[in-house]
Amino acid sequence: MTEQEERPIETDRIKAIMDRKKGGMKRFLSYCAHCSICAESCFLYMAHDKDPQYMPSYKAINSLGKLYKKKDKVDRAFLENIKGIVWRNCVLCRRCYCPIGIDIPSMISLARTICRSQGVYPNFDEPAPKESWL
Amino acid sequence: MYDFVRGPLVWVAFIVFVGGLIFQAARFFTLTRKKERVFLALNSGSGRGWSIRSIGERFAFLRGTILGTHPVMTIVTSIFHFCLFVAPIFLLAHSILFYQSWGIGIWSFSESTTDLLTAIFLLCGVFFLLRRIFVRRVRVITTAYDYIILFIVVAPFLSGYLAYHQWLDYRTMLIAHILAGEVMLVVTPFTKLGHMLFFFLYRFLIGSEYSFGQGTRTW
Repeated sequence: MTEQEERPIETDRIKAIMDRKKGGMKRFLSYCAHCSICAESCFLYMAHDKDPQYMPSYKAINSLGKLYKKKDKVDRAFLENIKGIVWRNCVLCRRCYCPIGIDIPSMISLARTICRSQGVYPNFDEPAPKESWL
Repeated sequence: MYDFVRGPLVWVAFIVFVGGLIFQAARFFTLTRKKERVFLALNSGSGRGWSIRSIGERFAFLRGTILGTHPVMTIVTSIFHFCLFVAPIFLLAHSILFYQSWGIGIWSFSESTTDLLTAIFLLCGVFFLLRRIFVRRVRVITTAYDYIILFIVVAPFLSGYLAYHQWLDYRTMLIAHILAGEVMLVVTPFTKLGHMLFFFLYRFLIGSEYSFGQGTRTW
Protein backbone atom coordinates (compact mmCIF):
# COMPACT_ATOMS: atom_id res chain seq x y z
CA MET A 1 0.00 0.00 0.00
CA THR A 2 1.41 3.38 -0.91
CA GLU A 3 1.47 6.35 1.44
CA GLN A 4 -1.17 7.90 -0.76
CA GLU A 5 -3.54 5.01 -0.19
CA GLU A 6 -2.97 4.82 3.57
CA ARG A 7 -3.83 8.46 4.27
CA PRO A 8 -7.33 8.77 5.73
CA ILE A 9 -9.86 10.90 3.91
CA GLU A 10 -10.19 14.44 5.25
CA THR A 11 -13.93 14.92 4.99
CA ASP A 12 -13.73 18.41 6.49
CA ARG A 13 -11.33 19.53 3.80
CA ILE A 14 -13.51 18.05 1.08
CA LYS A 15 -16.54 19.73 2.58
CA ALA A 16 -14.73 23.08 2.72
CA ILE A 17 -13.81 22.82 -0.97
CA MET A 18 -17.37 21.87 -1.90
CA ASP A 19 -18.89 24.60 0.28
CA ARG A 20 -16.79 27.31 -1.39
CA LYS A 21 -18.52 26.64 -4.68
CA LYS A 22 -21.74 25.18 -3.35
CA GLY A 23 -24.08 27.93 -4.56
CA GLY A 24 -23.14 27.68 -8.20
CA MET A 25 -22.42 23.94 -8.35
CA LYS A 26 -25.63 22.84 -6.69
CA ARG A 27 -27.58 25.06 -9.05
CA PHE A 28 -25.76 23.57 -12.06
CA LEU A 29 -26.60 20.08 -10.84
CA SER A 30 -30.19 21.06 -10.08
CA TYR A 31 -30.86 22.87 -13.34
CA CYS A 32 -29.33 20.22 -15.56
CA ALA A 33 -32.31 19.09 -17.60
CA HIS A 34 -30.70 15.72 -18.39
CA CYS A 35 -31.40 16.42 -22.03
CA SER A 36 -28.06 15.06 -23.38
CA ILE A 37 -27.79 17.81 -25.99
CA CYS A 38 -24.25 18.36 -24.66
CA ALA A 39 -23.18 14.95 -25.96
CA GLU A 40 -22.12 15.75 -29.52
CA SER A 41 -20.14 18.80 -28.44
CA CYS A 42 -17.58 16.54 -26.69
CA PHE A 43 -14.94 15.28 -29.11
CA LEU A 44 -14.15 12.36 -26.78
CA TYR A 45 -17.80 11.26 -26.97
CA MET A 46 -17.66 11.42 -30.77
CA ALA A 47 -14.26 9.68 -30.93
CA HIS A 48 -15.40 6.84 -28.68
CA ASP A 49 -18.30 5.80 -30.87
CA LYS A 50 -20.80 7.95 -28.96
CA ASP A 51 -20.23 6.07 -25.72
CA PRO A 52 -22.55 7.77 -23.16
CA GLN A 53 -19.93 7.65 -20.40
CA TYR A 54 -18.07 10.43 -22.26
CA MET A 55 -21.09 12.71 -22.32
CA PRO A 56 -20.34 15.95 -20.47
CA SER A 57 -23.50 15.68 -18.38
CA TYR A 58 -22.74 12.06 -17.51
CA LYS A 59 -19.24 13.01 -16.40
CA ALA A 60 -20.39 15.92 -14.26
CA ILE A 61 -23.32 14.07 -12.67
CA ASN A 62 -21.26 10.97 -11.88
CA SER A 63 -18.31 12.82 -10.43
CA LEU A 64 -19.28 16.10 -8.77
CA GLY A 65 -22.93 15.19 -8.62
CA LYS A 66 -22.17 12.10 -6.61
CA LEU A 67 -19.71 14.01 -4.43
CA TYR A 68 -22.42 16.46 -3.44
CA LYS A 69 -24.86 13.64 -2.83
CA LYS A 70 -22.45 11.68 -0.67
CA LYS A 71 -21.31 14.73 1.35
CA ASP A 72 -19.58 13.38 4.51
CA LYS A 73 -19.64 9.79 3.30
CA VAL A 74 -16.97 10.24 0.61
CA ASP A 75 -14.27 7.59 0.92
CA ARG A 76 -11.02 6.88 -0.89
CA ALA A 77 -12.54 4.08 -2.94
CA PHE A 78 -15.12 6.49 -4.31
CA LEU A 79 -12.46 9.05 -5.26
CA GLU A 80 -10.46 6.30 -6.98
CA ASN A 81 -13.59 5.39 -8.92
CA ILE A 82 -14.22 8.89 -10.18
CA LYS A 83 -10.63 9.75 -11.07
CA GLY A 84 -11.10 7.96 -14.37
CA ILE A 85 -14.07 10.16 -15.19
CA VAL A 86 -12.44 13.45 -14.31
CA TRP A 87 -8.96 12.82 -15.72
CA ARG A 88 -9.18 10.25 -18.47
CA ASN A 89 -12.66 10.94 -19.83
CA CYS A 90 -12.28 14.73 -19.86
CA VAL A 91 -9.44 17.02 -20.93
CA LEU A 92 -11.14 20.28 -19.87
CA CYS A 93 -11.09 21.59 -23.41
CA ARG A 94 -14.23 23.64 -22.63
CA ARG A 95 -15.83 22.65 -25.89
CA CYS A 96 -18.96 21.28 -24.18
CA TYR A 97 -22.18 23.05 -25.05
CA CYS A 98 -25.13 23.29 -22.71
CA PRO A 99 -28.39 24.86 -23.93
CA ILE A 100 -29.05 26.15 -20.42
CA GLY A 101 -25.52 27.54 -20.07
CA ILE A 102 -24.24 25.26 -17.32
CA ASP A 103 -20.45 25.45 -16.99
CA ILE A 104 -19.59 21.75 -17.11
CA PRO A 105 -15.76 22.07 -17.13
CA SER A 106 -15.88 23.97 -13.84
CA MET A 107 -17.65 20.99 -12.29
CA ILE A 108 -15.04 18.53 -13.58
CA SER A 109 -12.30 20.87 -12.43
CA LEU A 110 -13.75 21.05 -8.91
CA ALA A 111 -13.97 17.26 -8.76
CA ARG A 112 -10.30 17.12 -9.75
CA THR A 113 -9.47 19.60 -6.98
CA ILE A 114 -11.25 17.44 -4.44
CA CYS A 115 -9.44 14.30 -5.63
CA ARG A 116 -6.09 16.06 -5.59
CA SER A 117 -6.69 17.37 -2.06
CA GLN A 118 -6.82 13.75 -0.87
CA GLY A 119 -3.81 12.65 -2.86
CA VAL A 120 -5.85 10.89 -5.53
CA TYR A 121 -4.13 11.41 -8.86
CA PRO A 122 -4.20 9.60 -12.16
CA ASN A 123 -1.04 7.63 -12.81
CA PHE A 124 -0.15 8.41 -16.41
CA ASP A 125 3.19 6.58 -16.14
CA GLU A 126 1.58 3.17 -16.16
CA PRO A 127 -0.40 2.00 -19.16
CA ALA A 128 -4.13 2.00 -18.46
CA PRO A 129 -5.50 -1.55 -18.16
CA LYS A 130 -8.33 -0.75 -20.55
CA GLU A 131 -9.71 2.15 -22.56
CA SER A 132 -11.43 3.75 -19.62
CA TRP A 133 -11.14 3.40 -15.90
CA LEU A 134 -14.86 2.98 -15.54
CA MET B 1 -62.57 22.13 -2.31
CA TYR B 2 -62.99 23.98 -5.60
CA ASP B 3 -63.19 27.36 -3.87
CA PHE B 4 -60.06 26.60 -1.88
CA VAL B 5 -57.92 25.59 -4.85
CA ARG B 6 -59.39 28.34 -7.02
CA GLY B 7 -58.88 31.01 -4.35
CA PRO B 8 -56.24 30.96 -1.56
CA LEU B 9 -54.14 28.19 -3.08
CA VAL B 10 -53.73 30.18 -6.31
CA TRP B 11 -52.34 33.04 -4.27
CA VAL B 12 -49.93 30.74 -2.47
CA ALA B 13 -48.78 29.20 -5.73
CA PHE B 14 -48.12 32.51 -7.45
CA ILE B 15 -46.42 34.02 -4.42
CA VAL B 16 -44.07 31.04 -4.16
CA PHE B 17 -43.53 31.06 -7.92
CA VAL B 18 -42.74 34.76 -8.24
CA GLY B 19 -40.93 34.96 -4.90
CA GLY B 20 -38.88 31.89 -5.72
CA LEU B 21 -37.83 33.24 -9.10
CA ILE B 22 -36.88 36.59 -7.58
CA PHE B 23 -34.87 34.82 -4.89
CA GLN B 24 -33.07 32.66 -7.44
CA ALA B 25 -32.35 35.65 -9.66
CA ALA B 26 -30.96 37.57 -6.69
CA ARG B 27 -28.78 34.58 -5.76
CA PHE B 28 -27.53 34.46 -9.32
CA PHE B 29 -26.33 38.06 -9.05
CA THR B 30 -24.64 37.42 -5.70
CA LEU B 31 -22.95 34.25 -6.97
CA THR B 32 -21.62 35.95 -10.08
CA ARG B 33 -19.65 39.11 -10.58
CA LYS B 34 -18.93 41.52 -13.37
CA LYS B 35 -15.76 40.67 -15.13
CA GLU B 36 -13.20 42.78 -16.98
CA ARG B 37 -14.01 43.36 -20.60
CA VAL B 38 -11.79 41.34 -22.89
CA PHE B 39 -11.94 42.23 -26.53
CA LEU B 40 -11.37 39.13 -28.61
CA ALA B 41 -10.73 38.88 -32.32
CA LEU B 42 -13.82 36.91 -33.19
CA ASN B 43 -15.44 36.14 -36.53
CA SER B 44 -15.73 39.07 -38.85
CA GLY B 45 -19.06 40.80 -38.80
CA SER B 46 -20.64 43.83 -37.34
CA GLY B 47 -18.98 43.04 -34.00
CA ARG B 48 -21.32 45.31 -32.11
CA GLY B 49 -24.17 44.71 -29.71
CA TRP B 50 -25.89 41.36 -29.69
CA SER B 51 -24.75 39.39 -32.66
CA ILE B 52 -21.29 38.74 -33.97
CA ARG B 53 -22.57 37.35 -37.24
CA SER B 54 -25.50 38.44 -39.31
CA ILE B 55 -28.75 36.50 -39.24
CA GLY B 56 -28.17 35.42 -42.83
CA GLU B 57 -24.84 33.86 -41.93
CA ARG B 58 -26.38 32.02 -38.99
CA PHE B 59 -29.09 30.38 -41.07
CA ALA B 60 -26.73 29.51 -43.88
CA PHE B 61 -24.45 27.45 -41.69
CA LEU B 62 -26.40 25.01 -39.55
CA ARG B 63 -23.53 22.63 -39.07
CA GLY B 64 -22.34 22.88 -35.48
CA THR B 65 -25.67 24.20 -34.25
CA ILE B 66 -28.18 22.22 -32.24
CA LEU B 67 -30.68 22.49 -35.10
CA GLY B 68 -28.10 20.92 -37.39
CA THR B 69 -27.02 18.32 -34.82
CA HIS B 70 -30.39 17.48 -33.23
CA PRO B 71 -33.03 18.68 -35.71
CA VAL B 72 -35.93 16.60 -34.39
CA MET B 73 -35.27 17.36 -30.72
CA THR B 74 -34.76 21.06 -31.41
CA ILE B 75 -37.96 21.39 -33.42
CA VAL B 76 -40.03 19.35 -30.96
CA THR B 77 -38.76 21.22 -27.94
CA SER B 78 -39.38 24.57 -29.66
CA ILE B 79 -42.98 23.57 -30.41
CA PHE B 80 -43.33 22.21 -26.88
CA HIS B 81 -42.17 25.45 -25.27
CA PHE B 82 -44.28 27.55 -27.61
CA CYS B 83 -47.42 25.61 -26.67
CA LEU B 84 -46.39 25.60 -22.99
CA PHE B 85 -46.68 29.39 -22.84
CA VAL B 86 -49.18 30.26 -25.54
CA ALA B 87 -51.88 27.72 -24.74
CA PRO B 88 -52.46 28.67 -21.07
CA ILE B 89 -52.01 32.42 -21.54
CA PHE B 90 -54.44 32.72 -24.45
CA LEU B 91 -56.96 30.14 -23.28
CA LEU B 92 -60.55 31.45 -23.21
CA ALA B 93 -61.38 29.78 -19.91
CA HIS B 94 -58.34 31.34 -18.23
CA SER B 95 -59.22 34.73 -19.70
CA ILE B 96 -62.71 34.46 -18.24
CA LEU B 97 -61.34 33.51 -14.83
CA PHE B 98 -58.86 36.37 -14.98
CA TYR B 99 -61.67 38.76 -15.90
CA GLN B 100 -63.80 37.47 -13.02
CA SER B 101 -60.93 38.00 -10.57
CA TRP B 102 -59.33 41.21 -11.80
CA GLY B 103 -61.77 42.78 -14.23
CA ILE B 104 -59.14 42.73 -16.96
CA GLY B 105 -59.99 41.09 -20.25
CA ILE B 106 -57.21 39.23 -22.07
CA TRP B 107 -57.45 38.41 -25.73
CA SER B 108 -57.76 34.67 -26.32
CA PHE B 109 -57.64 32.15 -29.12
CA SER B 110 -60.66 30.13 -30.10
CA GLU B 111 -61.23 27.02 -28.02
CA SER B 112 -60.49 24.75 -30.96
CA THR B 113 -57.12 26.44 -31.43
CA THR B 114 -56.04 26.05 -27.82
CA ASP B 115 -57.40 22.51 -27.88
CA LEU B 116 -55.12 21.77 -30.82
CA LEU B 117 -52.16 23.44 -29.12
CA THR B 118 -52.78 21.33 -26.02
CA ALA B 119 -52.97 18.14 -28.07
CA ILE B 120 -49.70 19.04 -29.79
CA PHE B 121 -48.14 19.75 -26.41
CA LEU B 122 -49.23 16.33 -25.12
CA LEU B 123 -47.73 14.65 -28.18
CA CYS B 124 -44.46 16.46 -27.51
CA GLY B 125 -44.65 15.20 -23.93
CA VAL B 126 -45.00 11.66 -25.24
CA PHE B 127 -41.97 12.24 -27.47
CA PHE B 128 -39.90 13.33 -24.46
CA LEU B 129 -41.07 10.32 -22.46
CA LEU B 130 -40.15 7.88 -25.23
CA ARG B 131 -36.85 9.63 -25.78
CA ARG B 132 -36.02 9.31 -22.12
CA ILE B 133 -36.82 5.60 -22.16
CA PHE B 134 -35.38 4.52 -25.51
CA VAL B 135 -32.48 6.85 -26.34
CA ARG B 136 -29.44 5.35 -24.61
CA ARG B 137 -27.52 8.51 -23.90
CA VAL B 138 -30.60 10.08 -22.27
CA ARG B 139 -31.53 6.92 -20.37
CA VAL B 140 -28.08 6.73 -18.83
CA ILE B 141 -28.51 10.05 -17.00
CA THR B 142 -32.22 9.68 -16.28
CA THR B 143 -33.56 9.21 -12.78
CA ALA B 144 -37.05 9.08 -11.26
CA TYR B 145 -36.76 12.85 -10.77
CA ASP B 146 -36.87 13.37 -14.54
CA TYR B 147 -40.05 11.33 -14.95
CA ILE B 148 -41.66 13.14 -12.04
CA ILE B 149 -40.83 16.57 -13.47
CA LEU B 150 -42.14 15.54 -16.90
CA PHE B 151 -45.35 14.37 -15.25
CA ILE B 152 -45.64 17.64 -13.30
CA VAL B 153 -45.35 19.63 -16.52
CA VAL B 154 -47.72 17.49 -18.55
CA ALA B 155 -50.34 17.01 -15.79
CA PRO B 156 -51.97 20.47 -16.00
CA PHE B 157 -52.36 20.13 -19.76
CA LEU B 158 -53.62 16.57 -19.63
CA SER B 159 -56.10 17.26 -16.83
CA GLY B 160 -57.22 20.47 -18.55
CA TYR B 161 -57.71 18.60 -21.81
CA LEU B 162 -59.74 15.88 -20.05
CA ALA B 163 -61.77 18.47 -18.16
CA TYR B 164 -62.56 20.48 -21.29
CA HIS B 165 -63.69 17.37 -23.18
CA GLN B 166 -65.49 16.06 -20.08
CA TRP B 167 -64.12 12.57 -20.70
CA LEU B 168 -63.92 11.82 -16.97
CA ASP B 169 -65.77 13.46 -14.07
CA TYR B 170 -65.58 17.15 -14.86
CA ARG B 171 -65.39 18.48 -11.31
CA THR B 172 -62.63 16.06 -10.35
CA MET B 173 -60.61 16.84 -13.46
CA LEU B 174 -61.05 20.55 -12.91
CA ILE B 175 -59.76 20.40 -9.34
CA ALA B 176 -56.91 18.12 -10.49
CA HIS B 177 -56.09 20.60 -13.23
CA ILE B 178 -55.93 23.54 -10.86
CA LEU B 179 -53.87 21.58 -8.33
CA ALA B 180 -51.52 20.34 -11.04
CA GLY B 181 -50.97 23.87 -12.27
CA GLU B 182 -50.26 25.07 -8.77
CA VAL B 183 -47.77 22.27 -8.15
CA MET B 184 -46.00 23.19 -11.38
CA LEU B 185 -45.80 26.83 -10.39
CA VAL B 186 -44.48 26.04 -6.92
CA VAL B 187 -41.72 23.65 -8.05
CA THR B 188 -40.53 25.77 -10.99
CA PRO B 189 -38.02 28.02 -9.15
CA PHE B 190 -36.48 25.11 -7.24
CA THR B 191 -36.07 22.40 -9.85
CA LYS B 192 -34.76 22.08 -13.39
CA LEU B 193 -37.90 23.88 -14.54
CA GLY B 194 -36.06 26.99 -13.34
CA HIS B 195 -34.37 26.98 -16.72
CA MET B 196 -37.33 29.16 -17.61
CA LEU B 197 -35.41 31.96 -15.94
CA PHE B 198 -31.89 30.62 -15.97
CA PHE B 199 -31.70 30.00 -19.67
CA PHE B 200 -31.81 33.77 -20.10
CA LEU B 201 -29.55 34.66 -17.17
CA TYR B 202 -26.88 32.08 -17.97
CA ARG B 203 -26.86 32.36 -21.74
CA PHE B 204 -27.10 36.14 -21.96
CA LEU B 205 -25.19 37.36 -18.93
CA ILE B 206 -22.43 34.83 -18.30
CA GLY B 207 -19.45 35.18 -20.60
CA SER B 208 -18.56 31.98 -22.38
CA GLU B 209 -18.02 30.64 -25.88
CA TYR B 210 -21.71 29.99 -26.30
CA SER B 211 -23.15 33.09 -24.68
CA PHE B 212 -25.47 35.29 -26.68
CA GLY B 213 -24.09 38.78 -26.68
CA GLN B 214 -21.28 40.23 -24.62
CA GLY B 215 -21.45 38.05 -21.50
CA THR B 216 -20.27 40.47 -18.88
CA ARG B 217 -20.55 38.26 -15.82
CA THR B 218 -18.65 35.28 -14.52
CA TRP B 219 -19.04 32.81 -11.65
